[in-house]
Amino acid sequence: MQRLYNDFFGSFGGRYVAEILRPPLDELERVWLEAMKSDDFQKELDTQLTEFAGRPTPLMFAENATKALKGAKIYIKLEGLANTGAHKINNVLGQALLAKRMGKQRIIAETGAGQHGFATAAVCAKLGFECKVYMGEIDMKRQRPNVFWMELFGAEVEPVKGGSSTLKDAVNEALRDWASSFETTHYLLGSALGPSPYPDMAREFQSVVGREVESEINRRNLDVETLIACVGGGSNAIGFFYPFLDETTPRLIGVEAGGTGNSPGEHASRMSGSGKPGIVHGYKSLFLLDDDGQVGSTHSISAGLDYPGIGPQLAYLGQTKRIEFTKISDREALDALQFFAKNEGIIFALESAHAGAEAIKLAKSLSPEKSIIVNMSGRGDKDLFILAGNLDKDKWHSFLEKEVKENAK
Amino acid sequence: MPNRIMAHMVAFYPDRESSIKIAGALIDGGCSYLEIQFPFSDPTADGTYIQKACSRALQEGFKVNPGFRLISKIRKLTDIPIFIMGYANTVCFHGVKKFLDECVCSGAQGIIIPDLPFDYDEGIFSMGEKAGLNVIHVIAPSIHDERLRMILSRGPEYVYAVLRKGITGSYTTIGDENIRFLKKVGAYRVKILSGFGISTKKQVNVLSAYVHASVVGTAFIKEIMQNRGKSPYKIIIKKMHALL
Ligand SMILES: Cc1ncc(COP(=O)(O)O)c(C=O)c1O
Repeated sequence: MQRLYNDFFGSFGGRYVAEILRPPLDELERVWLEAMKSDDFQKELDTQLTEFAGRPTPLMFAENATKALKGAKIYIKLEGLANTGAHKINNVLGQALLAKRMGKQRIIAETGAGQHGFATAAVCAKLGFECKVYMGEIDMKRQRPNVFWMELFGAEVEPVKGGSSTLKDAVNEALRDWASSFETTHYLLGSALGPSPYPDMAREFQSVVGREVESEINRRNLDVETLIACVGGGSNAIGFFYPFLDETTPRLIGVEAGGTGNSPGEHASRMSGSGKPGIVHGYKSLFLLDDDGQVGSTHSISAGLDYPGIGPQLAYLGQTKRIEFTKISDREALDALQFFAKNEGIIFALESAHAGAEAIKLAKSLSPEKSIIVNMSGRGDKDLFILAGNLDKDKWHSFLEKEVKENAK
Repeated sequence: MPNRIMAHMVAFYPDRESSIKIAGALIDGGCSYLEIQFPFSDPTADGTYIQKACSRALQEGFKVNPGFRLISKIRKLTDIPIFIMGYANTVCFHGVKKFLDECVCSGAQGIIIPDLPFDYDEGIFSMGEKAGLNVIHVIAPSIHDERLRMILSRGPEYVYAVLRKGITGSYTTIGDENIRFLKKVGAYRVKILSGFGISTKKQVNVLSAYVHASVVGTAFIKEIMQNRGKSPYKIIIKKMHALL
């Protein structure tokens, strides 16, 4: 039986925060644990997940991809079909309802790919919270469509310039905001990381993904060899793997960002030997650190995987070998995205395309009776500019130029 | 009570040599304690000035071992207590025991690590005690009475009382709420080091009735940033004189 509140997973996890942030974290733990036992809370969450988020999301048999690869059957959990385009909405709805229970009026969040910010801004619009989203300047540039949507929902998107101007710096700024605003504000952290109880809480709110998959496996009587998910902080992976964590099968594979190479600053893969134990952002886990313990720089074509740390439970399950970790390069992710677009008519988010790429590799090596399930944690609408810029540069650039000229008139 | 100041500075800011001169100016200017921050790439408890100082210090080549050598060098300038402030990752990455031993070797009297509270401390409090080091608890006004009691009933020599919510930097107007908090802490026999947003003599005067020493940090960094090209020694001495 898995426990609701663990705090630590082996030596990882914890609540390593300055005293100033203890009261809101202690309150959050208490209110969350109460809510998990409350029928009213669960009912309200279920209603929102069904009516607003559009759950359950489909599990699709990727028949053409399977035929093309001549290996195991590939199934894709179309989590990207959830409202706002990614799994992030599950955790956001759960935490926003907790914020309501705590009587908070304002919600802040960090975002990398912008999917968590997008979901947070949407839910704040729906439930009536003031909303501020911290986003690295580089991420704002590369995920521009999501910035626009957040602002459309009425959220303030604050560009973060310090450090590497990406997700990790957005977390820093959100923590700084929270240290002075916690009396009125909930920090809606977007992944299975941060000080406890966030990793436990994000897992529970994301476990709906895995539970839906499990019931489809049983209903269709699938012989599932492997589940594959991409891992940024780890929230889609831990939710998707959730029902199987205490079992020995199926194989669980977490895919990290292999970026452009193996040198520091070229990737964000913490679990393939580069990660070192550290305490950053309030939790102990494996991080990409330099030789003096400073947080290292990272790279990924996908903003959502471009983060130097990994959720503590995933780091632990990597140590115990329950979850295997692999990495996929920027190029392989782009190729996989095109492969599934052409064969299946679906657009993976660049983050999720890392899982898709691993599935392509693995399927070929397995027999056709076996099944593998990939979590398409998000869809790629947000990546339009990156994709068009990479895959169809000339046409896209001349289109953009024309747009600017015409609108300047 | 006299106006005592615990002066905060960032090791290697704006560069190694200047940071030694700044320490000299703080000492000559009459500070009672030195709090020397070891820069970290992700200082989540710090405002923009200290953040900028830390990233500059890292560009200037700050590393932990040279940091300890800097402490030894400053140690030779003065007899006042030196405390090393830093973040949990710096301590844990180098190994808690090794880090604490090196603090002692370098001549520091204590350490302040805000993100290692007593119940998630990686053993620094017990190991620090064994090593003869003051491991200083950081508390804030929002702390529950029970936690405050747990910390102070252990009889620490010092406690670092943050005056308000938030991060380092912006000005703190000292009002009834701060004073109530300081009185509550003062009911225990402990030397209170208190700061966050202290930049004027007026604040130091008010605080002196309730604390052992006022902590001033960002104010010095601001002076240095706003007076680029001038001698950091002269700037800091002037600021110290203005505060005391
Ligand atoms: C679509 C999508 N997948 C995955 C991630 C990575 O986060 P996590 O590992 O928490 O699922 C993100 C984060 O932004 C995302 O937008």
